[in-house]
Amino acid sequence: MDKKKIPVSAGRIAVKVDDLTVAYNYKPVLWDIDLEIPEGVLMAIVGPNGAGKSTLIKSILGILKPIAGSVSIYNQPYEKQRSLVAYVPQKGSVDWDFPTTALDVVMMGTYGSLGWIKRPGQKEKKAALEALEKVGMLPFKGRQISQLSGGQQQRIFLARALVQNASIYFMDEPFQGVDATTEIAIINILKELRKAGKTVIVVHHDLQTVPEYFDWVTFLNVKKIATGPVKDIFNDDNLTKTYGINYKVSIQE
Amino acid sequence: MSSAQIEIQLIASVVAIACAIPGTFLVLRKMAMISDAISHSILPGIVIGFFITQDLNSPLLIFLAALTGIITVVLVEYIQKTGLVKEDTAIGLVFPTLFSIGVILIAKNANDVHLDVDAVLLGELAFAPFDRLLIAGADVGPKALWVIGSILIISVILLIAFFKELKVSTFDKGLAASLGFSPAIIHYGLMGVSSITTVGAFDAVGAILVVALMIAPAATAYLLTTNLKHMLIYAICFGVFSAISGYWLAHSLDASIAGSITTMLGLLFLAVYLFAPTKGVIAVMYREKQQRTEVSLLTFLLHLRNHTEERERHVNHLNEHINWQKVRSKTVLDLALKNNMIKFDKNIVSLTEKGNNFTSQAIDYIITNEDSKIEHMKEDFFLFRG
Ligand SMILES: Nc1ncnc2c1ncn2[C@@H]1O[C@H](COP(=O)(O)OP(=O)(O)OP(=O)(O)O)[C@@H](O)[C@H]1O
Ligand SMILES: [Mg+2]
Repeated sequence: MDKKKIPVSAGRIAVKVDDLTVAYNYKPVLWDIDLEIPEGVLMAIVGPNGAGKSTLIKSILGILKPIAGSVSIYNQPYEKQRSLVAYVPQKGSVDWDFPTTALDVVMMGTYGSLGWIKRPGQKEKKAALEALEKVGMLPFKGRQISQLSGGQQQRIFLARALVQNASIYFMDEPFQGVDATTEIAIINILKELRKAGKTVIVVHHDLQTVPEYFDWVTFLNVKKIATGPVKDIFNDDNLTKTYGINYKVSIQE
Repeated sequence: MSSAQIEIQLIASVVAIACAIPGTFLVLRKMAMISDAISHSILPGIVIGFFITQDLNSPLLIFLAALTGIITVVLVEYIQKTGLVKEDTAIGLVFPTLFSIGVILIAKNANDVHLDVDAVLLGELAFAPFDRLLIAGADVGPKALWVIGSILIISVILLIAFFKELKVSTFDKGLAASLGFSPAIIHYGLMGVSSITTVGAFDAVGAILVVALMIAPAATAYLLTTNLKHMLIYAICFGVFSAISGYWLAHSLDASIAGSITTMLGLLFLAVYLFAPTKGVIAVMYREKQQRTEVSLLTFLLHLRNHTEERERHVNHLNEHINWQKVRSKTVLDLALKNNMIKFDKNIVSLTEKGNNFTSQAIDYIITNEDSKIEHMKEDFFLFRG
């Protein structure tokens, strides 16, 4: 695809958020966010329920209109860089009883590169099958999606993002409700993406695994608390600021 | 069959197809109520359009009325967005208001013309063939057929062109937005087509039948398939079938055609609801019964495997130990025997080799919960299916 638009030099900023404020019904849920995500990191966004993590991702992707601030992907507005970005929504944001199969859902990932009106063909189907294979879901390609387990559904959505062949991946809680094996399978795929130079941004709830899975982290609770390398900023101080309780104590209880 | 009869069936069928296309997406978007709202609230649009054009089939009138339909949708969404009331309440507020404005307009100004509330709500298919379209003095067929036929052609073209966009935005709005397919454009496009279809069809078949033809065939098709294209095709077939069979029902009972078509739609839905192969009530009940028996069978086999002592495997003991009713034990025992899973030896039950294998596989699955393990078992073992 638009490979020429992807800068090769290291140290570039993949996603830049400036003074972003987002509100539902004029009640701000994200407040003046500044954020720079360097290219090639595997980043966790952590924060309590209702902190605005999903909202942040949705406004970066232009699904929500912010009341102030701007977002750029490789120094360009999102609208121009759509083909560089893939998105795995938080579970439950789709209609599971929709008459569609696993393969069909994965194929939807190719729609973006097709644009309006043009329809998917053999090439798109082949890409979708390969993505299904990668996440180990090939045997289920003909299944209606509500007949898949929660973890399997999550893998289908991962495959749909993979097929977009993007440079930046946003994933909203991909580990929600998956078992340990699937979690490892997913994280391995994410690490592979990072190895291939992609930027991966994941909303994550399990604080224990942050140091093991990720190399970059953003603490968020309505305002941005901190962002940077896990080894530098993943500490009690930031956790306490984000979660509002003495985190260490609460883990011991 | 007289040519009027053929034309009535043709008009009804074309209306059915034109309604089934937007109807399928309305059902999938859980917006069935919206079509009801549109069908009523277009009345003021029709009345105003009629004052201007003096012609119920003029394109301007159709356009004005469709605009009222879209205004309905916008108003409903606006009221809903205030967060004060739910969507159904918002619909309930908007359409009676617009509808009554239409009724008042008719009462005040159109008393003497061919436009009354009954005609709008119920339509009269039987009269449709008498309103002919004349081009340069030549009769080219019933007007209604031309109007609704043109609308059908437009919606088929739109459907084919934007099928992928409709699908992705109905299934996953967020993805559609992030891929650059504006869900708002698609939403209002669909609302526009639904409104135009409703307006185009109401004169021939009435607003109530339009709603029924939009929702019922799609809802029926929804029970039968897991493929969107098939759902569309089934919905179209059900609509056409109900239209034609409804016509003949009305013919033989000397009843209202619209009423009979609606009745057929209802009966068809009921039949599918009861007898659909996977989602139907009877299939679900049968499957549950089957699964219960198979769980029992598995429990029974596990018991046999876990107890090597003969005492535990004596027929009498099994009856009281597993604590099932006579009938149930008998069904389970028969099933196990029929499948060569157990054998009797002087009233002592034991597993055959096949039974032993099967039990190990089942345990394997239950413990590891690994999907690849059961994929082949699904063929011969009901319990693991879906
Ligand atoms: N559609 C909406 N309308 C109004 N308020 C909303 C809407 N969606 C989210 N909110 C509110 O915005 C805030 C942030 O929500 P968001 O979904 O971004 O949280 P989150 O950090 O993703 O939480 P979680 O961990 O539970 O997924 C919450 O207080 C929520 O109640
Ligand atoms: Mg969230």
